Parts: sequence; structure tokens; C-alpha cells
Amino acid sequence: MDRYLEPHQARRHEPTQYESLLGDAIERAYAAGTHDLAGLVAYLNRTGPGPQEGEVWTEEVYKAQIAKLAEE
Amino acid sequence: MTTQQPILTADAILERGLKNLWYPICPSHMIGREPVSLRRLGKKLVFWRDQDNKVHALDDHCPHRGAPLSKGIVMGDRIACGYHGVQVRCDGTVTRVPGSPGCKLEGSRPTQAYHIVERNDAVWLYNATENIDTPPPLVLPAELDADGEFSSFLCYTEWKGDYRYVLDNVMDPMHGTYLHKQSHSMAEGDNTAAFRIRDTDRGFVFEKEGQRDVNFDWTEWADTGTHWMRLEIPYPKTGGPGGNFVIVGSYTPISPTLAAVFHWRCRKLDGWQRDTWRFLYRNRLEARHWAVLEQDRVMLEDMEPDANQNEHLYQHDMGIVRLRRHLKNLAKAELERMQQGKA
Repeated sequence: MDRYLEPHQARRHEPTQYESLLGDAIERAYAAGTHDLAGLVAYLNRTGPGPQEGEVWTEEVYKAQIAKLAEE
Repeated sequence: MTTQQPILTADAILERGLKNLWYPICPSHMIGREPVSLRRLGKKLVFWRDQDNKVHALDDHCPHRGAPLSKGIVMGDRIACGYHGVQVRCDGTVTRVPGSPGCKLEGSRPTQAYHIVERNDAVWLYNATENIDTPPPLVLPAELDADGEFSSFLCYTEWKGDYRYVLDNVMDPMHGTYLHKQSHSMAEGDNTAAFRIRDTDRGFVFEKEGQRDVNFDWTEWADTGTHWMRLEIPYPKTGGPGGNFVIVGSYTPISPTLAAVFHWRCRKLDGWQRDTWRFLYRNRLEARHWAVLEQDRVMLEDMEPDANQNEHLYQHDMGIVRLRRHLKNLAKAELERMQQGKA
């Protein structure tokens, strides 16, 4: 390469299957106009994927897990 | 033997970048404890980190006979040239000539040193004309404030061609409607528009009349100790809450045929919304933004080096004309200062 052209400068690892499923679900919720946390949590509980820690999404579970995923 | 000095012109000054400004040089991760040689701003520079992680920069030229200091050995805030061991401190002072102790080179300050700060994941260099003890502050737009309301990611790329083509590209919002029609964020907006220029206290805004928050509708150019540009692009609904996507750009010449291109992608978000955007950005949005930026790179890299000498500009190019004229005036002022011997 004669110049720096790196498409992925932000991510620290290849997306996992779980991360991509969750990304899909969040984008679908957003596309449907669901832009509030309660609505997003309800959407994820309806369509999946579930949380990696815990049985169901709650606002607290979502906030904790997305904070972790945002930095991984 | 005599060497004929080339006649310096305002254009040549712009080609290598104006002096006495801060410039982004590279992403922070590119500089480590080992010396790194980078060509920027018409010069070859050496960068390294000391034991406190502070970045230093000198001309990559040993004051003894011009060997690259980047081939030398880092000794904290000094670098020892690999050729004869001459030690140059981060302020440009020669602290030791081991082969000839006490020679007049020792204690002199023949090497240009550069002030460095790290902000927003990038190394910034103050391009002073000579050694100075204190540079002016680096002021960045609100989107890049460390404690501000915005979250951002840096995207660094190197594009073939003169960096001024990158400036022209960013000062040309209308290309979004055409070049980026096939993208995740720029399918909207009229394919004709009237533009106007609005002055600000730090530069100017070039904007569409009667169209805002639809497509790539405006560009701001500003000088706050560094030259930067700013624009907003509305996100589709899939981008979630948080309003428009903001891009701050700053561009540094590597050589007349290569540009260092810095784009900070920013959104005004906090809490779970911020975390969700950062997750989505890493997981998928970065790739989509990359595809858009590649459309620009491919177009610009295929332009002839002298394309801007044979143009037929129209109303949409007022911003480009204004920016070029402004930069030319800054270069002329620099040239005059140089001719008066006080650059």
C-alpha cells in the first residue's frame, strides 16, 4: 500500500455474530421510528436478540450492556 | 558550486502549507517510543514519545551532516543520531557531540523543533517558521471539545493529489447530491440549488438557500489557530436519535502529490444514545461512512494535477472561489513577511 487507507479505524475486533444481530435489531427499531429507550427495550424483548447477561432487556440492563459494547 | 534558489511564490507556499498554524499530522497510534519519520508540510520530520508518553518532533535532519535522526536512538527527550551519536534535544538544542566534546555545535540550537499536542486521537504540530518557546493555543470546534456534548471518531486517510483538491471537495456541498446519491445518508435534496456565503467571526459558511437539514447543505470554513471545515449531514431514521451527523475536517499536505486527510465524525449525544451510536459506528456505520468517503477519494485521485487550471466555474463554486482567494491572500502575506525577513 502506497498510502494509508484503513477502512476500520474505530473497531477493536471483527464484529461478533451477537453484535451484528443486535445492531440489526437496533437499526430496525430506529427505522420504525422507535427512538426512546423504553420503546427500544420493548422492541428488543419482542424480536431479540436477548441480553447476553440476564433474561430480559430492561432499561438498566440495556444501558449497562450497550455501554460495554460501545467500548469493546 | 552554487545552487540556484527557486523563486518562492504564494502558490508554492500554499503547496507546502501555510506557516504558523496548527496542523493534524497523524493518528496518535502512529507514534510510539521508536522514532518515526513522516513527510509533512514540505519537510521530513521525526516524531517519538518520551517516557511520559509526550510526543516530540524535530526536523528529521541531524545538524551535523544531515543524516536522518529517525535512524537514531531515543534517549527520553533527546535523540542520538545513528550516524555519529550527536544528541539533539526535543527543543532543537545539541546537548552532546560524543566524537568531539566541547565543539561549538554543543549547546547550539540548530535544529528546528515543533510544538506538539494530542487532541481527538490525533497528533497536532505547530508549523512555526523558527524555534519558538510558546505556541498559540490550538482551538478546535465545539464538536471536538473533550468535555463537550459531542461524541466523535477520527477517520484518517491519505489521498493522492494536492490537499487543496480536498479543500475544494469539502467546500462543494452540491457534489453530495450527485456523487453520493448512492449512499446511506445523501439520497435526499433537490438536484439544483442556489448558494450564498455568510461571514462568521472565524471564517465563513457556504450554504444552500432555503434548504437545510436535507442533504449535505452547507460547509463552514474557519481559522482558530488551525484551519478546519465543518459540515452536517442528516442521518436516516436508522441512525437513531441525536440529529444530524457532523463532520469536522482538517487537511495537511504530505507532498504535492499526497494529502493527509482527517475527518472527525461527530454526533451530539449522551447516555445510552451515545453508547448505542458508538456501538453501531464500530459494528457497521464506519463501513458505510467509509464507502461514501471512498467515492470522494476515487474521484479526486483521478483528477489531473492541473485540473484546477482549466475550469469553468458556476454559482455552486462560489465557496471554492472564496476559499482559494482567502488562502492565496494568506500566502501572499506570508511571502511578504518572508521577503521582509520576519516570517
